[in-house]
Amino acid sequence: MTITEKIMAFNSGRSSVVPGQLVWANVHTVMTMDYLGKQCFSAFESLSPEKKLFDKDRVICVSDHLIPPPSEQFATMLNEWRETVRKYDIPYFYDLGRQGIAHQLMVEQGHVLPGKVSIGTDSHANTYGAVGAIGNAIGVTDAAIAMATGKCWFRVPESVKFIVTGEWQPWVMAKDLSLHIMGMMHWNGHLIYKALEFAGPAIESLGIAGRMTLCNMTVDLGAKNGIIAPDDTTIEFLRPVQKGEWAMLKSDADANYDAIYEVDVTNLGPTISLPDKLDDVVPVEKVIGTKFNKAFVGTCTNGRTEDFAIMASILRDKQIHRNVNMVCIPASQSVYLECIQKGYFEILIKAGAAIETPSCGPCAGIHTGVAGDGDIILSAGNRNMKGRMGSKNAKIYLTSPAVVAASAIRGEITDPRFEN
Amino acid sequence: MAIIKGKAWVAKNYVMSFDMVLQKYWTSPINPAENAKWVMAGVSEEFNSENAFVRAAFTFIVAGHNFAGGGKSIEHCVTGLVGAGIQAVFATSFARLQFRNAINYGLPFITSKDINLSCETGDILEYDSDNGFIKNLTNGKVFSSVPVAPFVAEVAASGGLMNFVRQKMADGTIHELH
Ligand code: SF4
Repeated sequence: MTITEKIMAFNSGRSSVVPGQLVWANVHTVMTMDYLGKQCFSAFESLSPEKKLFDKDRVICVSDHLIPPPSEQFATMLNEWRETVRKYDIPYFYDLGRQGIAHQLMVEQGHVLPGKVSIGTDSHANTYGAVGAIGNAIGVTDAAIAMATGKCWFRVPESVKFIVTGEWQPWVMAKDLSLHIMGMMHWNGHLIYKALEFAGPAIESLGIAGRMTLCNMTVDLGAKNGIIAPDDTTIEFLRPVQKGEWAMLKSDADANYDAIYEVDVTNLGPTISLPDKLDDVVPVEKVIGTKFNKAFVGTCTNGRTEDFAIMASILRDKQIHRNVNMVCIPASQSVYLECIQKGYFEILIKAGAAIETPSCGPCAGIHTGVAGDGDIILSAGNRNMKGRMGSKNAKIYLTSPAVVAASAIRGEITDPRFEN
Repeated sequence: MAIIKGKAWVAKNYVMSFDMVLQKYWTSPINPAENAKWVMAGVSEEFNSENAFVRAAFTFIVAGHNFAGGGKSIEHCVTGLVGAGIQAVFATSFARLQFRNAINYGLPFITSKDINLSCETGDILEYDSDNGFIKNLTNGKVFSSVPVAPFVAEVAASGGLMNFVRQKMADGTIHELH
């Protein structure tokens, strides 16, 4: 069996499963957030009039999309959300002041564990595969049912394996690999409903941050989940924050895959997705010199300490071009604090970047720097469809934090390998 | 369910969930009649007025690749279609989140190869859910579809997943689900 099949079997009380089989799995945690959380709780109450959660330590509530509220309407929504959560005395409620993007918090705070299944009412719940868990996005109905019963139905997916070998080149990041695979496999293309497993020496050498980036964007490939088998890096990361027991499952040597692809990162350079369609991917060198006026680094894809570290090493003693407005948003308060302590934000501020308090920011066009008509944005986020960050008359290029940082110095797209 | 007959609307490839339901409605309460008022408003200008899609009175949607994609977990996409009287959606492929939501609400999302190439908006279709056949009565073409899994049929027969689970909670068999 593959790791995904083993987790499905293990959490549904079976010794084995096969792709296509339908199972009800026990979920380890259910995450919901400010945008849909109130709907989840009211659907839950319609199932459980006595308001009995399956386990209140395992219902994780987050404010991330709407904070700090940019408008009166959102402030009111947020107040209703807080009132809802407080009624339940939820211990893990990450609200303004202790906030972060839900997917970052789920991993960083130890709410997802190897060998377990965690679900969330947001598409990028695939991120949890970074620590060897199944992370899956679900809707309000599934969240409400899991909150009441601790269970969720799944169709066991076929698995596709990416064996990643070679040496990472300087300034090349997990995001470049992610975009490269997007170009190779297509946005919501052949990988719809599949479990994507990443393995091989170039994956083992990645830290948890890079693994999160890679698993995060599997949802944009249309996949059911993205997963990396837990190893020593995972254990070291989880030991200080772990909540509960875990199972170090991995795929059998004779596991069945729908397809196996090999990628050698030795030849992988900085990569970029052109505006409007995520799979319109080219090496950065093809678009060198393209001017832009806004730069954004943050989101559940690339808002981690490692991302700001690489930016700081590029922007140290440099100045961001006067025609570029850069917004940096750390993915959580812990990331924020760490970046302050390590001096990364001092470097970025001196270079002329604006640092914002953790939230989803302009990623979904809600606040903190949304796109206006005519904007050309160089973003380290995850989606670039028309209108994603605000105006439909804006263009979004997606790339790595390293490319954003290097390009911001010149005000035009640059390959970080030549800037340093 | 057996046989459903009605008028089809033919959509393009890549109908996105965030165009089916515009951002300002993402947090509206789930209520099919309400959610239907503005469903499809961002997909096509002709549906960008109150109840426009409802008034068009389609029974089926025929679509191409990745229907309801774009990765929003909002259920309004599905409840909006239910409220507008849609009884089945045929597409060459669906985005997984809305496919899941559709199962949970008992709205058949049916995968059928190439159906979008042989249908035009306004054609009258007949769907035989027991046998999986879709007949285009306007041009006489017949398509087969992927059969509906027993679980999906059971959920639809219960009137959606919430009811399905409610019944299992009431009769104490919820813990037997695995
Ligand atoms: S950062 Fe963007 S993609 Fe991630 S959860 Fe927030 S809005 Fe969604």
